[in-house]
Amino acid sequence: MGILEVKNLRAGYGSGDVVRDIDISLEKGEFACIIGPNGSGKSTLIKALQGLLKDVTGEIRVDGEDLFRLTRHEVAGKIAFVPQIADLTFEFSVLEVVAMGRYVHQGRLAGLSAADRHVIRDVLEMVEVSHLQEKKVAHLSGGERQRVLIARALAQDTPLLFLDEPSSHLDLNYGLEVFEILERLQTEKGKTILATEHNINLVIPYARKIVFLKEGRIQAQGGPVAMITRENIKDVFKADVDIRENRHSKLPEISLIPRPSEKRQIKE
Amino acid sequence: MKPGRKRVAFAIVLLLILAVSLLLSLMIGAVRTSPADLWDFFFHKDQTYRTIFFDLRLCRALLAFLVGASLALSGAILQGYFQNPMADPFVVGVSSGASFGAVLCLSMGLGAASAFGFSLQSLFAFGVGFSLVSLVYLLSQTQAVFKVETLLLTGIAAGAVASSLTSFLLFLRSDSFEQAVFWLLGSFTLADWRQVGMVAPYLALCLLVAQWLAKDMNLLVLGDEMAQSLGSPVARVRRTFLAVSTLLAAVSVSVSGIIGFVGLIVPHWVRIIVGPDHRHLFGLSALTGGTFLVLCDLLARTVLSPTELPIGIITALFGAPFFIYLLHRRR
Repeated sequence: MGILEVKNLRAGYGSGDVVRDIDISLEKGEFACIIGPNGSGKSTLIKALQGLLKDVTGEIRVDGEDLFRLTRHEVAGKIAFVPQIADLTFEFSVLEVVAMGRYVHQGRLAGLSAADRHVIRDVLEMVEVSHLQEKKVAHLSGGERQRVLIARALAQDTPLLFLDEPSSHLDLNYGLEVFEILERLQTEKGKTILATEHNINLVIPYARKIVFLKEGRIQAQGGPVAMITRENIKDVFKADVDIRENRHSKLPEISLIPRPSEKRQIKE
Repeated sequence: MKPGRKRVAFAIVLLLILAVSLLLSLMIGAVRTSPADLWDFFFHKDQTYRTIFFDLRLCRALLAFLVGASLALSGAILQGYFQNPMADPFVVGVSSGASFGAVLCLSMGLGAASAFGFSLQSLFAFGVGFSLVSLVYLLSQTQAVFKVETLLLTGIAAGAVASSLTSFLLFLRSDSFEQAVFWLLGSFTLADWRQVGMVAPYLALCLLVAQWLAKDMNLLVLGDEMAQSLGSPVARVRRTFLAVSTLLAAVSVSVSGIIGFVGLIVPHWVRIIVGPDHRHLFGLSALTGGTFLVLCDLLARTVLSPTELPIGIITALFGAPFFIYLLHRRR
């Protein structure tokens, strides 16, 4: 049995279903991506999978245990979450924000232990933000902020890592950087990773499994080479694409086919 | 300076200011007293001025300190709770509810009555203030997804209803206007030891609870979902903080009327100096708020002496310009 087993899950916000008929199984150490267009329910699904939504039915098992019977504290020991970048109301420093990841391992009134400091130092180094630790999070660039959020999730020290659109709001190169960090976490630390993403080409070299989500339902799931087909993309994104081989990775990648137009003029 | 040292330095400076303010509060007042009288009272147990130093001035200064600390702590909690630096103890309707309760009591002709050793006005203020917030809370729970904004807006609306009812009562009974001003602008004129004894245990209890949950409040600032996913029992934490902050504000209003701006500005001062970590913010806000109000009360009773100004005038006079400065600084 996998580390995450989801059966017949549906979830919403009290007025109709946003996602339904969800069956997913993740093996320990697997890197999976949920892919779908805006509004397909990706964010809802990744939140429902960690028990963050109230209006949920179905079955989620983490490490064989029923997620809905666990306390928040117990769940936080198993799953860490990297949300989409949001503004912080108050001016916390990078170190303070990353230290919040240690909450689940600390006593209520305890400060940072030597072990906490050790973990924090390691994760700051791992995502290469050690030099920023005294800075206020509000003053960082999007790419830096995303890495700080990942560092906080890593400080939580959990077997599972969930991410909601880790490359959104990021420039091309930062998106790639984030996925390289995730790949290292998977291969070196044995983390099981589940991320939502809308940029298909970005995930193909890294994801071992792709889950296509369309209108709240899983349209198809499997290995990237099997999943990246013209039919699947057309089905899920309503876009006509060509599939070809990336010259460097030898993996498939998609390119959009512009619809013909007589007015369009191509300039050299 | 290292953050730890900065906090200690800040606390020491505060304690010094507090000591000086308390001393000044003891020395200055309607009856002329000299430092020598104070010396005699303290060190030679001279009872001549006992009532003035002990029962009037010290009692009043201590009550001002406790109320200032309660309001500032309540404000620090609610600013974190709503993730909104503009929130204050009165935003969910405690103040409007409490002052409505007090004025209701007055207009029923029960202004002088007392029960359980407390004035009926205080009890009305506390009861109506606390009930109004409970009602606001229950109303905002009716939706499938709890939204902090719903609570905030419901509170503002309910507060407006209470305020207009207060105005209506005052309109009907213009003879109770003078007493009503006490509730609407705040004052420590009626301070006595019983009130000190009532506020102190609440403040102590609430400060302990707030400190116990301070780390959770830090997480809450990241948003409810994030706080949950980091392991914090968010629903319970939110309920506790709302109850604690309402209790603090309702108790404060019931002894001294509505004193505005303390709960709004004091947490900001402290945050600017020691940073946003609630583990330090709660205690230091309480200390700062208390000290600030002791000073304000000193001003309130000396500026136009022998006439006493409502303290709400002083705090707003200092508070409002700072509030405007903050608003513009945040751009």
